[in-house]
Amino acid sequence: MTRTSRRRVAVTGLGVVSSIGTGPAEFAAGLRAGRSGARPITVFDTTGLPLNLGCEISGFEPRKWLDRLSADDLPRVAQLAVAAARMAVDDAAYDRAELAARRTLIGVGTSTAGTDSVERIAERLARDPDAGVDEFEARWTPAVGMSVAVARELGLSNVELATYATACAAGNYTIGDGFDAVAVGDVDVALCGGADGMSRMSYIGFYRLGAIDPVHCRPFDRERRGILTGEGAGMLVLEPLDDAVARGARIYAEVLGYGLNCDAHHPVAPHRDGVTACLRTALADAGVAPGDVDLISAHGTGTLANDSTECAAISAVFGDTPPRTVSIKSMLGHTMGAASALSAIASCLAITEGFIPPTINHVETDPDCPIDCVPNHSVAADLEIVQSNAFAFGGGNAVVLFGKN
Amino acid sequence: MNAAVEAKAAEIKTIVCRVLSVDPATVSDTDLFIEDLGADSLKLVEVLATLQIKLDVEVDPADFRRLVNLEGVYEVLSEALAE
Repeated sequence: MTRTSRRRVAVTGLGVVSSIGTGPAEFAAGLRAGRSGARPITVFDTTGLPLNLGCEISGFEPRKWLDRLSADDLPRVAQLAVAAARMAVDDAAYDRAELAARRTLIGVGTSTAGTDSVERIAERLARDPDAGVDEFEARWTPAVGMSVAVARELGLSNVELATYATACAAGNYTIGDGFDAVAVGDVDVALCGGADGMSRMSYIGFYRLGAIDPVHCRPFDRERRGILTGEGAGMLVLEPLDDAVARGARIYAEVLGYGLNCDAHHPVAPHRDGVTACLRTALADAGVAPGDVDLISAHGTGTLANDSTECAAISAVFGDTPPRTVSIKSMLGHTMGAASALSAIASCLAITEGFIPPTINHVETDPDCPIDCVPNHSVAADLEIVQSNAFAFGGGNAVVLFGKN
Repeated sequence: MNAAVEAKAAEIKTIVCRVLSVDPATVSDTDLFIEDLGADSLKLVEVLATLQIKLDVEVDPADFRRLVNLEGVYEVLSEALAE
């Protein structure tokens, strides 16, 4: 189907749970202030590790977001996903009964889903082989539990449930699929995004790869040493632009298009040519010329390899004067499956509220990252088009473009 | 290499060769892990992690790139174990 025959797709609702703020208003305020979500990790034991900083959510009250389901019956990651989904639907001012009558896609992306349950089960069994396995923890381990929980809490049955295990780019995969499903008329509403809770496995995995910064996350900086792991959830409501206009909904932005590819180059190293091709695919799908992009919300993990490779790909596509390119991971850490959903939400808020979130913890830009990363302080800006990048281990790349409506 | 590492050189070589799945008898101190022994960067992460656990030593991540052969391993561990 050609782009002109597709329905135009609007973002009308945002739901956020993050280490720098819950809900779109608080999240936007955190981005604008350059707030850091880094704090000592409490959700798992870091005894024996030389580092213990992560971007953990504090003060999250799952019961506030759960009417039909019980918090005791859900793993943390599903609590986060459900809270963000409810927030997004409420933010879209979508009547619940009306929503239940619509054909809806619920897509949740993730890296580790409920594997924190597996970690606890394994730990107990390792300490005591007779400890047994807790029924609830075992039951909620599968990643599909998140989209199921969203549907149950919202009372939606006319839904397709989708789970995207495409790791650090999963949020953008869900938005891309949601965009397609709405654009071609397969669904009336797409509720999509991503969620991940703090995971001991990913923390120790990245630590062993030498990819955790011992001080703070400082993307594009000459002294950067890696990521901080984080947690969060971000969900977006997508619907046909015409429907949004007809029901008088607030429109944050329009999804202009997206690009996906897998360069299948290396298990963990990003590949410049694969990333470059993905950027070009997204721009072509959106019908946007590189010179018309006003801001890039980068993957920007803060690892040596990602930031220089991403900037090389940006240079290849955008030339010597690329748009300003920021990393909100400097504030949020790497929230894995939620990361690109949160980046998408930040992109929408940047367009609506007219500002560029900063890249914090920045001292001196690496010559291998020749971009303006808007160091440390947000700036006001009138943004027409914002691009959000995400690249995952395994070479899965996903890029989405948003435009002002 | 210092005395502490010299005393453990055989054990270190055994650990490295087991992780790389190569026969210790055929490996010299100067054989390059990647070019000569078929390792990749992830294998070298595993080498470093295994050495840190087995020898109870902490290696500065910045020294990772020096782990190109057994000679490099002995040097880096000599510094780490001297601290």
